[in-house]
Amino acid sequence: MAGIEGFLFLALQAIVSGILVGGVYGVLSVGLSLAFGVMRIVNFAHGELVMYGMYVGVIASKGFGIDPLLILPLSFLITALVGVVQYQVVFRHFVGHATLQQLLAAIGCALVLQMVAQILFGADAKTATSVFSGQYTLLGPLFLSQAQIVAFLIAVAATLAVTLLLRSTAWGKAVRAVADDLEAAEIVGINSSYVNIGAFALSTGLAGLAGTVLVTYFPTSPSAGFALMPIIIIATTIGGLGSIGGTFLGGIACGVIQQLTAMLWNSALQDVPLYILLMLFIAFRPTGFFGKRSE
Amino acid sequence: MTNASIPQMTIDPARKAEQIRSALLMLLPVAIVAVLPLLPFVNDYIIAATVRALIFITLGQAWNVVAGIGGLLSLGHGVFLGLGAYTTGILFNRYGIPPWIGVWAGAAIAMVFALVMGSMTLRMRGVFFALATVAMSLALVQVTRHFVDLTGGSDGLALKFNGNSFWAMQARTPAPFLYAGLVMVAIYYGITRWILKSRFGLEMMAVRDDEVAAAAAGVSVFRTKMLGFLLSAMMTAVAGTLYMQFYMAIDPEAAFGLSQAIQLQLPALLGGLGTAWGPIIGGAVMIFLSEVTNLGATKLEITGLDILVYGCMLLFVVLRAPKGIVGFFTEKRRKS
Repeated sequence: MAGIEGFLFLALQAIVSGILVGGVYGVLSVGLSLAFGVMRIVNFAHGELVMYGMYVGVIASKGFGIDPLLILPLSFLITALVGVVQYQVVFRHFVGHATLQQLLAAIGCALVLQMVAQILFGADAKTATSVFSGQYTLLGPLFLSQAQIVAFLIAVAATLAVTLLLRSTAWGKAVRAVADDLEAAEIVGINSSYVNIGAFALSTGLAGLAGTVLVTYFPTSPSAGFALMPIIIIATTIGGLGSIGGTFLGGIACGVIQQLTAMLWNSALQDVPLYILLMLFIAFRPTGFFGKRSE
Repeated sequence: MTNASIPQMTIDPARKAEQIRSALLMLLPVAIVAVLPLLPFVNDYIIAATVRALIFITLGQAWNVVAGIGGLLSLGHGVFLGLGAYTTGILFNRYGIPPWIGVWAGAAIAMVFALVMGSMTLRMRGVFFALATVAMSLALVQVTRHFVDLTGGSDGLALKFNGNSFWAMQARTPAPFLYAGLVMVAIYYGITRWILKSRFGLEMMAVRDDEVAAAAAGVSVFRTKMLGFLLSAMMTAVAGTLYMQFYMAIDPEAAFGLSQAIQLQLPALLGGLGTAWGPIIGGAVMIFLSEVTNLGATKLEITGLDILVYGCMLLFVVLRAPKGIVGFFTEKRRKS
């Protein structure tokens, strides 16, 4: 294949694998967006919880020989529990204001969680294998990783589940009420601190679940969480801080842009257009594509 | 209104004596640091640790201007440290331009960056400014890794060493940097004191405390934030040159990485945000604690223990002592 045909084929390959990777970026970011939407908390330690989720997968795979994809509920529970502790110790004091102190506290959490992981698991990179790891499928002319396809499907399912949870259950309605207007929600009898703990646990639990999915095709190390934070922040800002669906689409946009940059320019610089995009969004449309306009 | 039109307070003798006493108290640490190399039990290791403390104090003082006095959370201040260090290093290695000139080139480039970043993000709410500074520093990590010819890539950039030379700002022993650091800390302390007393500083603090009220009182909010950001960027880049001359090398993570940005914030946070003494006390405490932890960590063979200590310090300050060490003592003094 040569010329324009070959180029189009490469572009198609880049876009499809971008969507697959981006779906996982999306579900990594949804939790951050949720915590911001409900409590105005920007959890800089969100990536660390993804990293703990990845280690849950590693331990299951290497320690017990269990497929990481089978223990997703467990990794959700573990990181949700870490989230509850984090909320009770730190973020409880900062609900409602994304202040300087709150961002610093979140960074402090990130440093502590990262170094605890390094002491517990060592500094070197570790991998986990599921039945789909290292398997590839030819889909028409496209060459795709099975682990990435499965991860994408799980990401879509998890995001849909969260959306349904927030849309259709009584608890979800309470969460949205608190997000819209804290005082009014309290007046009609919603206990906002329970809602907040629940929403924060959901946020960090999702991070852990996404991490366990991610580790089936991406190695982990104590710094993996910090390394993922830029993508998570960019996906959330492009999609709209506080909007679940928007954030998911923002993740997909990030994946596609990364892959296209890698193809057209240089894979070492694949994140640079994303940073520029983030600056442009912050300057001209800080609410993202789907965020609420008023503040 | 200019400074001259502010009525001067009459100074009574008791107050003046108090001022002289506190001025002498301030000179004590300066004197101790200055005679440090002459003391018998002090070796190069202790001097080097003191220089590290002085460098992080200057970085903390620079960050304090934008974050403490201006209330703007720049999480990516490593950008300016890195630009200062890399510019000086590249100019020296490639063209033999001495750091005495390179430092101003670095400061100018840092200010151009600050101008672009600031004009895009300073009108937005604080979170977005913080996120943009993070994005900028991480983008620079990738860019410096990529342009290996210019920056040395991931391995970093090492200064060519020509032996002791005042012109090249290089020395075999850490003692000269002790005095350079001391002078810089003193200058930055003076700048901070001046800002805190000047109209510009009052405007910055007004914007920090209540943007809407400040604007209503006639303060140009955007202009004030921008000037504070530019000044802080310049101060950080100049400190970055000192960093480069002392460490003799820099790499992308040490320049633009987030953990470096956090280390550069800790002196001001620990000591007390928005105060002239805060970064000085905080920087000394920070380096002391990190040296002690590193000694312990080498014995226990655990790496990264200092980062864990930094994280705990950050959490402790934010949750338990938001006004830092200086705030803790001034409150105690008022009560008694």
